[in-house]
Amino acid sequence: MSVQEFLWAYMWAVLLLTLGVALYGVIARPNLLKKIIALTVLGDAVNVMVVLIGYRFTYPVAPPILPSLSRDALGAFLSSAVDPLPQALVITAVVIGMAVNMLLAILTVQLYRLYGTLDVREIARRGGGE
Amino acid sequence: MDAVGLTPIIPLLFAFALPLTSILIKGNRRVVQAYALLGTGLTLISSFALFQRAYSSDSPLIYTFGKWVAPVGIIYEVDRLGALMALVTAFLMFVIAVYSYRYLEGESGLEWYYTLYLGLEAGLLGVVLTGDAFNLFVMIEVTSIASYALVAFYRGRRDAVHAALKYAFIGAIGTTMYFLALGILYGAFGTVNFADLSAKIHDIPFPVSGNPVGEVVLASGIVLALATWAFLIKAAIFPNHFWLPEAHPAAPSPISAVLSGLVVNVGIYSLMRFLYTVYGGELVPGLERVVGGVAAVLVALGAVSALFGALMMNAQRDVKKLIAYSTIMHMGYLAMVVGAGTQLALQAAIFHMVNHAIAKALLFLAAGAFIHAAGSRDIGDLTGLGRRMPVATFGLSVATLSLVGIPPLNVFFSKVLLFDALMERSLALAMVIVLSSVIALVAYMRVLYRIWLGKPREDITAGEHASMAFVLLLLSAAVVLMGLAAPLLLQHYVDPAAAQMMDYGGYIKAAVEYASAFFS
Repeated sequence: MSVQEFLWAYMWAVLLLTLGVALYGVIARPNLLKKIIALTVLGDAVNVMVVLIGYRFTYPVAPPILPSLSRDALGAFLSSAVDPLPQALVITAVVIGMAVNMLLAILTVQLYRLYGTLDVREIARRGGGE
Repeated sequence: MDAVGLTPIIPLLFAFALPLTSILIKGNRRVVQAYALLGTGLTLISSFALFQRAYSSDSPLIYTFGKWVAPVGIIYEVDRLGALMALVTAFLMFVIAVYSYRYLEGESGLEWYYTLYLGLEAGLLGVVLTGDAFNLFVMIEVTSIASYALVAFYRGRRDAVHAALKYAFIGAIGTTMYFLALGILYGAFGTVNFADLSAKIHDIPFPVSGNPVGEVVLASGIVLALATWAFLIKAAIFPNHFWLPEAHPAAPSPISAVLSGLVVNVGIYSLMRFLYTVYGGELVPGLERVVGGVAAVLVALGAVSALFGALMMNAQRDVKKLIAYSTIMHMGYLAMVVGAGTQLALQAAIFHMVNHAIAKALLFLAAGAFIHAAGSRDIGDLTGLGRRMPVATFGLSVATLSLVGIPPLNVFFSKVLLFDALMERSLALAMVIVLSSVIALVAYMRVLYRIWLGKPREDITAGEHASMAFVLLLLSAAVVLMGLAAPLLLQHYVDPAAAQMMDYGGYIKAAVEYASAFFS
């Protein structure tokens, strides 16, 4: 196993672990603010995974700039450049994630005003109703 | 202008312009209402034009944004099912906008309500028209964010804010998982376009994009598992249903009608797109096993969902919660037939989706008329209001009788189709439909009896507003007429839509021809 392959596998293992921890956090932590933090961690872990899918094994790493305008240069460039489409997908997901997080934060503030607590166990004890 | 590209753009433009417009008009409620009716009305006209074009054309319609053709850019590809769903969506959004004005007369913030409402409409239309899996993700998020915010419209009420938070958390987990599925899909196939994906899976050449680069079977397994989970959350299928009975009742009644009639369909429609267009027809054995597994899970969860929803309906005191559990039951039916996978099952699913949307919207709006008068959602507080509000009672009766499947009304015919489609698979599954309908009938009759024949409370002055009564009568007429004309509707609209949906080759061919014409 080369160093790059090891790093690649290590990266995926860490990301999957983060995904698991984040899912645990959203589902099991009682504090709503911690749930929101876990949700952002979940979103970020998934975003990094998707960026990683577009990665290419090349060494030494060259900057993604086309060296010259010719067919051969283009072929070499395409085989070494990182795939930009996953990055485009991720930037869209980041923007959408920001909208969701903002809405969640506002709702949490409003919930705190109404209940005086952010603990979901306490809120469940008082009932969801009026 | 092109009706395909225009349809989701109209409500989007109207939504974004409304906050600024409302400053100019100083929040005048009448002007805001007229603005919303104009926005939804123009969308209705546009989607009607789209509907006619899709049914008169033999192949799916293609719209490219800025001439970026299929595998390179995002395209909208509209087949008959998409056009039919767009028309139903635009029609219901228009009549519910008419209804909303009177319902929300006591509330401030009508301009914010309509900003979200028009945004929701844009998202719903985008979901049914898009030909790209990533654009589907964006449109599902547009729909979802507008829905979360609208559930919390009564921001001073504890149950509304709590329900919206719960809905938003589970919804956000679902869409994040769908996004991960998209990443894996792109990693394996090198594309996220539905036509291109389908071409790669069925070994049909497609311009520009090359061969799949990854482990197709393994990737498809992970993708389908994650995407199905996300769509089942959106469609509220057991065990991902728990947000719905809180979120739908907590919203204002017109929004409950939109959520229960249209927003839950997003999950079912997306499942259909994946299982029939992308992974439809003949597959290699490995993929066949993966898709068969997903279909079996759908059938099983759908059956549990249908029975569970029907049983829970009988335990409710809150009239809107009862209707919300009925939505879980009907979504269960839809998941079962989508999993069944035959053309008959697809016809049943399409017809039931349309019928359920209209009947459920009518039911929520009729219940909303009582809630508006009584100021409470408890069945005990609505007792005896029926005789003072004849139009609302009529609407409520038509909707409940239709939803349990009484013969001349529309849902009866789709339930017969559902029964036939599931009978091909096994008798036990078909009996789930009958059994859950009977259990639901008991719950509905209890509501109807209490509202119509119960002893009225003295302190309520019940009146019916003309605009609300008009909408209820219009939708009741639609339910009755669609029932009477069911054979015609099936022959002319549902069967062609199902046939075109089964024909994934035609879907690919339309995109390929458009792209080749551009590249040659």
